[in-house]
Amino acid sequence: MVLWIVVGGAIDRNKREEIKMKKIFGLILLLAVGLFTGCTKDTEAAKGLAEKKQYTIGITQFGEHASLDNCREGLIGGLEEEGFVEGENLTIIYENAQFDTGTSNQIAQNFVSKKVDMIAAIATPVAQSAFNAAKDTDIPVIFTAITDPRAAMLTEGNVTGTSDKLPVEAQLKLIRAMLPKAKKIGILYTTSEVNSLSTLEEYKSLAEHYNFEIIDMGISAAADIPLAMDRILPQVDAMTNLIDNTVVGSLPVVVSKANEKNIPVFGSEIEQVKLNCVASEGIEYVELGKQTGRMAAQILRGEKTADEIPYEVVEGSSLYINSNVMDNLGLSLPLEYMDRAIDVVEN
Amino acid sequence: MDILIGILEQGLIYSIMALGIYITYKVLNFPDLTVDGSFPLGAAITASLMTNTDSALISSITLGHNPYIICIYALISGGIAGLITGIIHVKFKVRDLISGIITMTGLYSINLRIAGSANVPIFNMDTIFSNNFVYNLFPKALLKYNVLIIGFAITFGIKLILDIYLRTKSGYLLRAVGTNSVLVTTLAKDSGNVKILGIVIANSLVALGGSIMMQQQGFFEITMGTGAMVLGLASVIIGTNLFKKINFVKATTAVIFGSMIYKASMSVAMDISFTKASDMRLVTSILFLIILIAGQVKNKKVKIFVRVKEYLQDI
Amino acid sequence: MLELKNIYKTFNEGTVNESKLFSDFNLKVEKNDFVSIVGNNGSGKTSLINIICGSLDIDKGQIIVKGEDITKKKDFLRYQNIGRVYQDPSMGTCTEMTVLENMALADNKGKSYNLGRGTRKNRISYYKESLSKLNLGLENKLNIKVGELSGGQRQGMALLMATMTPIEFLILDEHTAALDPKTADIVMELTCKVVREKNITTIMVTHNIKYALEYGNRIIMLNQGRIALDRTNEEKEDLTVDKVFSIY
Repeated sequence: MVLWIVVGGAIDRNKREEIKMKKIFGLILLLAVGLFTGCTKDTEAAKGLAEKKQYTIGITQFGEHASLDNCREGLIGGLEEEGFVEGENLTIIYENAQFDTGTSNQIAQNFVSKKVDMIAAIATPVAQSAFNAAKDTDIPVIFTAITDPRAAMLTEGNVTGTSDKLPVEAQLKLIRAMLPKAKKIGILYTTSEVNSLSTLEEYKSLAEHYNFEIIDMGISAAADIPLAMDRILPQVDAMTNLIDNTVVGSLPVVVSKANEKNIPVFGSEIEQVKLNCVASEGIEYVELGKQTGRMAAQILRGEKTADEIPYEVVEGSSLYINSNVMDNLGLSLPLEYMDRAIDVVEN
Repeated sequence: MDILIGILEQGLIYSIMALGIYITYKVLNFPDLTVDGSFPLGAAITASLMTNTDSALISSITLGHNPYIICIYALISGGIAGLITGIIHVKFKVRDLISGIITMTGLYSINLRIAGSANVPIFNMDTIFSNNFVYNLFPKALLKYNVLIIGFAITFGIKLILDIYLRTKSGYLLRAVGTNSVLVTTLAKDSGNVKILGIVIANSLVALGGSIMMQQQGFFEITMGTGAMVLGLASVIIGTNLFKKINFVKATTAVIFGSMIYKASMSVAMDISFTKASDMRLVTSILFLIILIAGQVKNKKVKIFVRVKEYLQDI
Repeated sequence: MLELKNIYKTFNEGTVNESKLFSDFNLKVEKNDFVSIVGNNGSGKTSLINIICGSLDIDKGQIIVKGEDITKKKDFLRYQNIGRVYQDPSMGTCTEMTVLENMALADNKGKSYNLGRGTRKNRISYYKESLSKLNLGLENKLNIKVGELSGGQRQGMALLMATMTPIEFLILDEHTAALDPKTADIVMELTCKVVREKNITTIMVTHNIKYALEYGNRIIMLNQGRIALDRTNEEKEDLTVDKVFSIY
């Protein structure tokens, strides 16, 4: 780049253009200065993590999304429980890729150049960018909210984390328990979300054990949802959600259309039940985040390295219900579930 | 310093796509939205050809999954996408923007099919940046700059080829059809075919850019094309505006600069400490505005400077 | 040389706006004719040109150039033998390219636009010479973008570009109408010079009766798609501007 500027400057003999060239050079210099101020956030090269007193973690999140935000909250909370407190011995740099792969790459490179002690990545694309950027360095990458880390090729190397693989079987059991006569379950998903695709496959393979047939409908953007709902509702007895970013982002539309036709919508996470899904045997993203935070702490303390820790899946599931919605739909919860159930309405 | 290298790497690779957009947007005067689909198409073809290790056919046509050969297939696929848009626009007389949108929309589904999944990682596979040839060729010290060096070589090479092409007879015709397609007809040439050629060339470059980007980042994501047109346009416009007065050949260099400035702005936006992570896009757009205005103010300042100098000389 | 036989053309046939322009229209242009076509708006001057060049289709009839029936030929193919200068000086040139590049572009007409060098070095002196004959100072502006030239300079270039390669006939489509009177005169003089030097059959559509009478050997007046006046050589010299106007 400097070479081009010099060459460019030499070729342009016209004085006006010379001045212009200098101004452009000045502008580029200004931008470079702006970059260097960022550099002052550099931490020292990671000698041995266990020896350090101050830690810096770069958190990269794929997009603005309630579940992902919950992960982040849990992650920070989990670290805190393990003694890594933001402001005291921990600095957190948080960047959001705004659902853009290019930005995801830049954030990862940014963190690596700042030589952070760890990169925490929330969702598949940012985790992959981080892994790619950090692979020739010592920086460990810890991920969360990736449904299938194996498919994402994030099982080998200085990387580990938690998977938000949904408790599909538990959900199917719940739906069967609450709707003894239901035959068809509808699932709306976004074709571009790889997490949705793998969960959908699991639903399809387990559904017949519970005498269900899965009717699925793929969309490519939020704008497709109303039409897709109109088409799928007449065919199904109930709907269940994946942790599909696009569908969950438009959940009010989904739920209101389903409720008009008295079709219950089962969620996959507490936030969805709060938004009027009838119930959910789901995972709790804050918990998932905390679990991730605990893993991160282990690595920061130098107890284990990332490649020594295999990725973890959340065991068990949390049962959330929305009693208002249940009443409206005339449904009730079988006895054996009552103890575990947490009613979001009471909060 | 690592930040600068990262920006240069990203800027160089994206500028391949920006050069393609330069051809359609600036030379042909044809706003081409196909790029949102052809950028990931190149990446999808690359992902498919790299990961399908069971297929004997693919092994043979890629000469054993040779990443450089795979790049050529990506290039060709982009050309086909451009051909479709060109035919829709010229033969079926559909408006420029809509023709691009039609192809781009169709490509979303096609890309998914080609790649096989919405996300396809290629972390351990040979790419144009990391393979045995590169490891043997580069001395140890330079190995960590492999992306930068190879990226620079490829981008600079493409720029040179493009510059030379735009000075051939065919290139002249391409430049003419964008400004004045009537002239092309008067020169006894089918202006529609010339346009199609331009769109084909442009999208070939864009798809190649997508392939190389995907090889650098290590995975294919179906959404990687979203906003490609915007990014490319911004690079082209920022670059060409800042370097307006300098003669034609350098426009391609200006576009490469523009791409790097774009990436640099995003990096600066990321690091500004008093803004939240979600403010990044706002900061980036403000930075663009400042750069574009600075590009215009420069001319005024030069005039004032010259006039002041003359005045002082008269005294 | 050029023959229009039994041309029928109706616009908006079958609708409220239907207008029959040409009904069994016939015209013969001989080799080396310099025909001026005049007529008021709507008389069919521009349509006639577009029919000859292929940008306007006809309902019935034939267009024959040197014995060859080109009625079905696509417009860009017809231009292999036709040169055209438009009213808008920007339409006959490429404003984003330099004078030299425009010359090279026009020089290649009829040959393949392949990957060969755009501007051949050994032709540059020829271009310079041709441009200097225009007396517009263009030979010293080889690397200036055509868009920065004046209208008259651009039109001069367009004329040169249209006649650089061998053509059967030249069409001048009100090519001085957008220029100021002085520049228009200069361009008209140039036109006459170029046409005479290269011996090109020329059809000039113009509003300027003075030019129509002063230049060329034949004048045709169109009125609502019919030939109202057709004078050649000596008969033409008898005409004056007033006489022509009275027929208008």
